[in-house]
Amino acid sequence: MANTKKYWKGIDELNETKSFQESKESEFSQSNSIESFLADDQLSESSTGRRDFLKFLGFSVAAATVAACEAPVIKAVPYVMKPENVTPGMPTWYASTYYDGASYASILVKTREARPIFIKGNKHFGITKGSVTPPIIASVLGVYDSERIKNPLKAGKKSSWAAVDKEISSAIRNGNKVALISSTVISPSTLSAISELGSAVKGEFEHIQYDAISYSAMRNANELNFGKPFIPSYDFSKAKTIVSINADFLSTWLMPTEFAAQYGETRNPESDGGWMSKHFQFESVMSVAGSNADYRTMTKPSEEEAVLKYILAGLRGMSGTIPSSLKKSADLAIKSLQENGKESLVVCGTNNTGLQQLANEINEHNGANGTTIDLYNELQMFQSEEAKLMNCVKGISSGKYDVVLFYNSNPVYSFPKDELKKALKSKKVKVSVSLNSHADETGALCTYNCPDHHGLESWADYQPKSNHYAIAQPTIRPLHDTADALESFLVWSGKAERGGKDSTVAYDKIKETFSNISGADFKMVMHNSCVDLPQSMIEDSVTFNSVGYAAMPKKPSGTEVIMYQKSAIGSGIHANNPWLHELPDPITKVTWDNYITMNPVEMRKAGYKTTYDQENGLSMAKVTVNGVSVTLPIYPLPGQAPGTVGIALGYGRGGNGEKIGKSAYQTAEYGGYAVSKNGKPASIGANVFPMISTDNDEFYYSNSGKLSNVAGEYIIAATQIHHTVMGRHSIVRETTKEIFDSKGKEAYNPAHTLQTLDDDLNHVEKPVSEFDIWDAHPVENVGHRWGMSIDLSSCIGCSNCLVACQSENNVPVVGKDEVRRGREMHWLRIDRYFASDEEAAVGTKKNKDSFSYDQAEIAALNPKVVHMPMMCQHCNHAPCETVCPVAATTHSNEGLNQMTYNRCIGTRYCSNNCPYKVRRFNWFNYPSYKKFTEINPAQDDLGRMVLNPDVTVRSRGVMEKCSFCVQRIQATKLKSKIDKVPVEDGEFSTACADVCPTNAIVVGDWNDVNSKIRKSSENKRSYQALEEVGIRPNVWYKVKVRNEQNNLLSKLQVEKKSHHGSNNKHH
Amino acid sequence: MQKEAAIREPLILGHKTYHDITEDVCRPIEDKAPKMWYILFGIALIVGLYGVGCILYLLGTGVGVWGLNKTIGWAWDITNFVWWVGIGHAGTLISAVLLLFRQKWRMAINRSAEAMTIFAVFMAGLFPLIHMGRLWVGYWVLPIPNQFGSLWVNFNSPLLWDVFAISTYLSVSLVFWYIGLIPDFATIRDRAKKPVAKKMYSILSFGWSGRAKHWNRFEMVSLVLAGLATPLVFSVHSIVSFDFATSVIPGWHTTIFPPYFVAGAVFSGFAMVQTLLLIMRKAMSLEAYIHTKHVEYMNIVIMVTGSIVGTAYITELFISWYSGVEYEAYAFLNRATGPYWWAYFAMMTCNVISPQLMWFRKLRRSLLFTFFISIVVNIGMWFERYVIIMTSLHRDYLPSSWSMHYPSPIDIGVYIGTIGLFFTFFLLFARFFPVLALNEIKSILKGSGQSYKESPDYHKNH
Amino acid sequence: MANKVIYVMYDDDGVLKDGAKKLVSKGIKIADAFSPFPIHGIDPIIGVKNTRLGIMAFIYGLTGLTLATVGMRYFMIVDWPMNIGGKPNFTYLDNILSFIPITFEFTVLCAAHGMAITYLLKNRTLPGMPAQNPDPRTTDDKFVLEIRTADNSIDEKELDELIKDTGYIEIDKKNI
Repeated sequence: MANTKKYWKGIDELNETKSFQESKESEFSQSNSIESFLADDQLSESSTGRRDFLKFLGFSVAAATVAACEAPVIKAVPYVMKPENVTPGMPTWYASTYYDGASYASILVKTREARPIFIKGNKHFGITKGSVTPPIIASVLGVYDSERIKNPLKAGKKSSWAAVDKEISSAIRNGNKVALISSTVISPSTLSAISELGSAVKGEFEHIQYDAISYSAMRNANELNFGKPFIPSYDFSKAKTIVSINADFLSTWLMPTEFAAQYGETRNPESDGGWMSKHFQFESVMSVAGSNADYRTMTKPSEEEAVLKYILAGLRGMSGTIPSSLKKSADLAIKSLQENGKESLVVCGTNNTGLQQLANEINEHNGANGTTIDLYNELQMFQSEEAKLMNCVKGISSGKYDVVLFYNSNPVYSFPKDELKKALKSKKVKVSVSLNSHADETGALCTYNCPDHHGLESWADYQPKSNHYAIAQPTIRPLHDTADALESFLVWSGKAERGGKDSTVAYDKIKETFSNISGADFKMVMHNSCVDLPQSMIEDSVTFNSVGYAAMPKKPSGTEVIMYQKSAIGSGIHANNPWLHELPDPITKVTWDNYITMNPVEMRKAGYKTTYDQENGLSMAKVTVNGVSVTLPIYPLPGQAPGTVGIALGYGRGGNGEKIGKSAYQTAEYGGYAVSKNGKPASIGANVFPMISTDNDEFYYSNSGKLSNVAGEYIIAATQIHHTVMGRHSIVRETTKEIFDSKGKEAYNPAHTLQTLDDDLNHVEKPVSEFDIWDAHPVENVGHRWGMSIDLSSCIGCSNCLVACQSENNVPVVGKDEVRRGREMHWLRIDRYFASDEEAAVGTKKNKDSFSYDQAEIAALNPKVVHMPMMCQHCNHAPCETVCPVAATTHSNEGLNQMTYNRCIGTRYCSNNCPYKVRRFNWFNYPSYKKFTEINPAQDDLGRMVLNPDVTVRSRGVMEKCSFCVQRIQATKLKSKIDKVPVEDGEFSTACADVCPTNAIVVGDWNDVNSKIRKSSENKRSYQALEEVGIRPNVWYKVKVRNEQNNLLSKLQVEKKSHHGSNNKHH
Repeated sequence: MQKEAAIREPLILGHKTYHDITEDVCRPIEDKAPKMWYILFGIALIVGLYGVGCILYLLGTGVGVWGLNKTIGWAWDITNFVWWVGIGHAGTLISAVLLLFRQKWRMAINRSAEAMTIFAVFMAGLFPLIHMGRLWVGYWVLPIPNQFGSLWVNFNSPLLWDVFAISTYLSVSLVFWYIGLIPDFATIRDRAKKPVAKKMYSILSFGWSGRAKHWNRFEMVSLVLAGLATPLVFSVHSIVSFDFATSVIPGWHTTIFPPYFVAGAVFSGFAMVQTLLLIMRKAMSLEAYIHTKHVEYMNIVIMVTGSIVGTAYITELFISWYSGVEYEAYAFLNRATGPYWWAYFAMMTCNVISPQLMWFRKLRRSLLFTFFISIVVNIGMWFERYVIIMTSLHRDYLPSSWSMHYPSPIDIGVYIGTIGLFFTFFLLFARFFPVLALNEIKSILKGSGQSYKESPDYHKNH
Repeated sequence: MANKVIYVMYDDDGVLKDGAKKLVSKGIKIADAFSPFPIHGIDPIIGVKNTRLGIMAFIYGLTGLTLATVGMRYFMIVDWPMNIGGKPNFTYLDNILSFIPITFEFTVLCAAHGMAITYLLKNRTLPGMPAQNPDPRTTDDKFVLEIRTADNSIDEKELDELIKDTGYIEIDKKNI
């Protein structure tokens, strides 16, 4: 890539910190090699020599293990000429931007030896404030996907750019009717390149933007209400009342990367303003947003209209009609909306113009426009035009089009109708071109495949909002003979020449575009990755005017089937990413499958199985919607609105054996693929896009259908087969805002106490922390003591941390068969607990004496949910350490529970003795055992490039677990050692904390009395899971606070003087 | 030799002379083996080899071929380990403890009981080895510095205590057993006709001559070894129980374990002795030496230890409720009523009910019934270990990690295989070794032999 | 007079013991006795001293105890103390509880094996050693007294006379 850019190598350079300024001067700032460090003679004097030695032992051990394990020897070739910006062993960070047609974020890319290996959000610049989603973090793996098309193809055969360019461009220029079908393009440069392309066409040219998930109803509704089709900006951080109708704004709806962070700000009960948002969710399938709601109401799609109308009426002081099951919460919502007026926000996630109008009416009535809704900063994404596409498809099938180009869109898979597929199959189009990176469902049917770069390989510019401009810069030289789509468009329209791998065509074009848009310094923008555009971009004001409602959803007949998105797989763009497939769904904890969700209460009535494990599958069922039918396992999802079933979109890809990725298919038990009837590898799950209702050209993601029984069972792979916390108060603690404000700590977060005798031999209660069977090693005020606190209130369960951990720590993907055997390797998991009818809140028994364990195992009809990230707690009295016969796991005197892989002999005693069950055992040789390598891009030759060189790849038969990202701790300490300054608070962060959109995870040095973690751990909401076991964890959890009215709970949570029958004292 | 009340039931029936004893014991060794022996040996060998095959597959592929998971790190492997170690307790107990207590009836059974002990401990020792993720570095459990310098083993770990306990127990039992064998090998050597046999046994007998001085030392060694082995017997299973007792897992973390485990071990050990001897006495026509009286004595031991075990179960159950600890209480509730209730049920019936039947003299003297019960008891004791190890793990602290255990074919193969190997060894022992302690039997012939008791000059004879 | 060794064989341990008593009372020195099992009470008669193996065992045990204690102290406390589960390992006594089981096991190990090895060496009973019993039947049901003329002043005739009364079944003389 060109060397004209300025790189900034971390937050420090950006902030121009003093320490950085100094280090910048010294020429060989990377001289902190381990050797020189060890050679430091002060080291020998320092009392901490052994500790440091142990740490470095850890590193050398890493190397030793890699050498020792059965994997073939891989030669490392040194640089002949060292690239200017690459220092072996030192990461280089690039500020860039992510956009895949569905989600957008400002990101930081970590590269090692010029290989991108880790993506996190850019907390300092951009509209997303550093928050990302699992697909964005996992996208780094896509660069090394060996199934990407490596060079242009003609009719599936290898070809050259020169050849295909010649044919395609002539076809386009002489075309009478040319269409470009793409997902929404928010890149000004690409748009102009497309218009260049259009002008080059002899005849008529159409550019149709089509998103798999459509938000057109919002634009249409706004056109009716405001006179122009647009999507405004929402600001949840200002909303004291949030009413969400079927909008999973925390994981899939619109801009989760923006909303999650904003939402997080409002969930802290100790915020300065003293307020905490009240969140009402009306939905059918339990979503991530729903699981976090203060009031979640099971609402059928057909009832959404009633809810919105009732709320609107209520706000206007009139009385409306509503199903009794919804009335209570709807009334509460109205009350809350009235209280907070314009500081409230009502969003509707259903793609129906009428409902969107209702939402607009309500927001207008509350005066939200202008506070929580910014009408003047329009979202440029999601400009899908189904109507146009439908006509175009008709045209294509009647052979009207000479050339059709597909750019970053896969309509053959995601378009509900299959005309397009038939048309392409029967060669109704003379020349069809796909610029997709894979020969996917669409690409496989095209005459030409002109693969685009991966996002991390190419230059791009984006305008996600009308007043924001962002740039994506390449972080690796293109791996294959692919070409930037932007370049292709220009080449085909005769405006540019191919530049090969080091082409500057896109770069120049972007520079040019930028100069027209903004006067800002391009280098600076590149360095920050984005810039806000002057307000002059925005034209005159828009005003709301109430008009008649467009058609509402038509009344359903039979079961209502909801087509929803999962946070990981979404619309299926990343359906070949093993990290995302193995990511347990935040709500169901199921991996590698989609399924029919249904409320267990209903299922029991219907006689479906509601329990499952390694050997016992779930009942199969068949859902039929307008002629299309799929057969899937039927999953018991508490909180699913009765009378509805849900099926996730984005599955069932590559059903005809298209090469969309090694891990996009079901695997057989002993390696290889499961084969479907057509003899092709069986795709994972089933595609339900064809079930979308397309009445009056509006994609409506639920539909009425028929549910029928099918014989047989299907074994699903879930990481959690038990769903409640059994009223165990020392694991999960929940309270309400009201109790939290009115009562003391003892009420909602009582300390565990034991009886003992004081000096006068009287019985007294003392906190567990005061009991110790031995005088232990000192941990306080001795060097560092790394700790972590996790706020269960702000944790939304998005699972970013899980993917980030997998990416940072080279956690292997083990595939469905192993996950179902309970052998997933994730170092960090998110425990999801549903409340049972025996509990007043998650973890609090209604009645300790009449508590029924059998009932407690069954989740409530519409349960409250708590997400609890769980990883190694780094106990100071770690039970795992004492039992290891070979001292393979020991305690650092920085409070870390260290795992020395190459000392481990694999007795698994430590894992048995771990109360949190966070240790993971290498049951097989994951890096080289065929069952895993042949189906798993993360483990083939190319995929291996994504591995983090700082972290050992574990060999067979050893135990592993969360290390608190010790490699990052070491890097931080080395840096401070060189700078001769103490480690600053916040300087070190773990991968999980890095990517937490709501900053629920705080890490730092607990011995630093002013550190965030120290303060957080002393917060009155802080407790330690299983404290009474006496193992002294270094991880604190903070009580989950729900902003709801819970009288029963406030009866139970009272301040007691003595703790007789306190929470760990009943049976 | 010390006198014995005439009314006491003789331990050696029929009118045996010293020579008859020699004949009876040496016959099976010198004669051709019966067809039955070859059949049994064949079966045992095939089963054993199948087990070896499973183990090789396990070592080649990874511990993942077993049915374990992230929650349940130990199941059949350690269950089998504890089961075999338990069985391995009878032998040394009989020959050591009973020797100290001068129980003459031990002499008929101690030789084969010790053999059983040693083979059982072999089988037991196998499991801790193959359950390791990386067997090839298993030697790291020995206190030798690692390649980076002085990284020693962790002497806090009960698993390391196990290493020392099991190896000590095995080697000491082996020595004790062999020292007793030497004089009897000498007997066979001196009778052997075939040159090969003669050579073999003269090597095995270390040139024993039976001098007065040697006998003098012999008796001292036996006595001291018995004195050492006795606490050893109790320590070994106590230490095995520490593996669980010192942990934090509800259902494992129990101070009652050491005595409870030792009692259980003796219980299962005697049961296995019964199983073997009842077959052996028939197969090798040793009815005169091992008869109802011996069986009855052993049944009494089974009854007593069985009652101790039963009491332990009930105590555990009571304390779990009485402690009022959420997790403890649930662990035991789950054992009895959870998904693995059947295992708990099996353990309760086999171990608590069945030994109580021994209160009936008729039943405890019935060989057929004894044989049946001995099998039942060993099934029960396997389930006891399975219940303790597996059901405690599968639902411990965090419900999110609760899990179920399903044994894989390899799990089962390895277990069955060890049973096959065990019988292979035992059949070889019965074929080539003196199954009764000749010298000891002879020394009690006058004291407890039927003929001598009946002869009128029994008393004035000495 | 020729130097002879006389083997007197009996078929009962009782008879042998009485015979030995008679001979010893006549001042005959009996060199040794061979029997298939220990004849209790023969040792004092023919003047076999009691063995001191027991004391040896005790010494071996002490050695084991010391080795274990010193070893574990060195490994865990001195050479490379590590923080293992927060357990105190500042002094040996802090951590002694964890060391007891192995200390015991190792003591027993050393005592048992030490004594066993001493026993075999002292007896010269080792693999491949030739048997020295005068008659194979002595390991079956016969009992033999060994008398050396060299040890006894009285002449052979008298000796035979004395032996006759002891009710032996066979007598065998060898020149050496």
